[in-house]
Amino acid sequence: MMAYSEDHIALAAEYALGTLDADERAQVEAMMSVDTDFTAMVGAWQQKLGALNQMVGSVEPRPEVWDRIKTAAGLTEGGLNGTGLAEPQAPLMLPETPPPVAPEIVAPAAAVDASNVIQLSASARRWRNIATLTTAIAAALVAMIAVGAYQPDLLPDGLRPKPRTQLVEVKTPSAPASPSAQYVAVLQKDGGSPAFILTVDAATKNFTVRKVDATAEPGKSFELWLIADKLPQPRSLGVIGAGDFTARPVLASYDTDTIKAATYAVTVEQAGGSPSGKPTSAPVFAGKLIETVPPVEPPAPTK
Amino acid sequence: MLTPVELVWLLAAVAKGDEAAFERLYAATRAKLFGVVLRILRRQDLAEEVIQEAYVKIWKSAGQFNPGLSSPITWMASIARNRAIDVVRKRSEVSIEEEPAAMEVAADTPDPLARREMTEELKRLLECVGRLEPDRQKLVLLAYYNGWSREQLAMKFETPVNTVKTWLRRSMMDIRECLGL
Repeated sequence: MMAYSEDHIALAAEYALGTLDADERAQVEAMMSVDTDFTAMVGAWQQKLGALNQMVGSVEPRPEVWDRIKTAAGLTEGGLNGTGLAEPQAPLMLPETPPPVAPEIVAPAAAVDASNVIQLSASARRWRNIATLTTAIAAALVAMIAVGAYQPDLLPDGLRPKPRTQLVEVKTPSAPASPSAQYVAVLQKDGGSPAFILTVDAATKNFTVRKVDATAEPGKSFELWLIADKLPQPRSLGVIGAGDFTARPVLASYDTDTIKAATYAVTVEQAGGSPSGKPTSAPVFAGKLIETVPPVEPPAPTK
Repeated sequence: MLTPVELVWLLAAVAKGDEAAFERLYAATRAKLFGVVLRILRRQDLAEEVIQEAYVKIWKSAGQFNPGLSSPITWMASIARNRAIDVVRKRSEVSIEEEPAAMEVAADTPDPLARREMTEELKRLLECVGRLEPDRQKLVLLAYYNGWSREQLAMKFETPVNTVKTWLRRSMMDIRECLGL
């Protein structure tokens, strides 16, 4: 590849980053149309920076979009119509990622009182979904966070992880939850690193608890609770399984506002959970939800 | 769930005009691409238009995809993202969007989230971004994820546009050196 001036290199990089103005973008596109080496340089930047898209959450477009694409691309009508797309497939979350290890299926211990444990279904798809819960809105900050967690020494003092009693202080999102809204809470002990990460899908109210750094003593279980102003006492969301992921639908019985405003706390209970349905000890980890997907504006009226 | 290899095969079939392959490719990638452009455009109607144009372009130019140079999903996402940026750059009335409420609060939150799910490529990039000064890390990431212009970034960072310009250029050069590009 020929040697480019720093100006040209910066232009290629900023084109890929997206910060050029309309004229400069047109200039880059003109250069790309006549200079394959320059095109390759822009492509290399797009490939490098494109890794960041892994942290952007997937959002399903409406089915009409596909119809419009077919028309605009001049595809054959009929034939394929309504075959493959009538049922939405799992969105492709992290295509560049090698397939994850099989999810650890969290099964209730045999000794556990079955009525106290919600049957768990950890599927590979849910497992993958964890990755996408870091989304759009959170993506930028999560990237910084990841840098911090990965190599905290690289971060200046101001950004280094600081001990805090509660990790996430939340302003409850004022907008109504859009179908795609996702929420994340980091459950943490004072000054410690995150113990659990709770993610909630606002549309389905399914939640997943990811164990980051917590081990129950032998004979004990971690139990998750929802604490809300409206509710007279904490409500059990079940025992957190021994595996890395525990996924459950039990939030479905709570309204969205309650879910968003609640504090989520983890207590240590006897194996299988508190027999009384009330916590028997003070929470060891707690946190609140933050919204991580921007509310989506309603689609414009069809023209 | 499709692997990158499967996506490459699909793109190759699409390049030959295989409509069924195009439909599968769309089904496998639409949500990721839509997520990327919606984040930049912040409007469903605009995002839908951009996605439509992007897939038409993918349909027509699948033959230009070179698996030796880029991964299929990044190639496709770049087409969609470039289109989205073109649209926002031409819509001068688009102003800086209010920041997500949680951003400032959570910006120094340590969180090992997704570490295991990250590709090596992403880890490496984040290492390099992590070597920038904190403001510049934020600058680069906000620019990429939100598609903000220098003017919007200047407003956000309450600094002259020329300063932002210098920071961006310096940051990209630092990242380049760090990545060995």
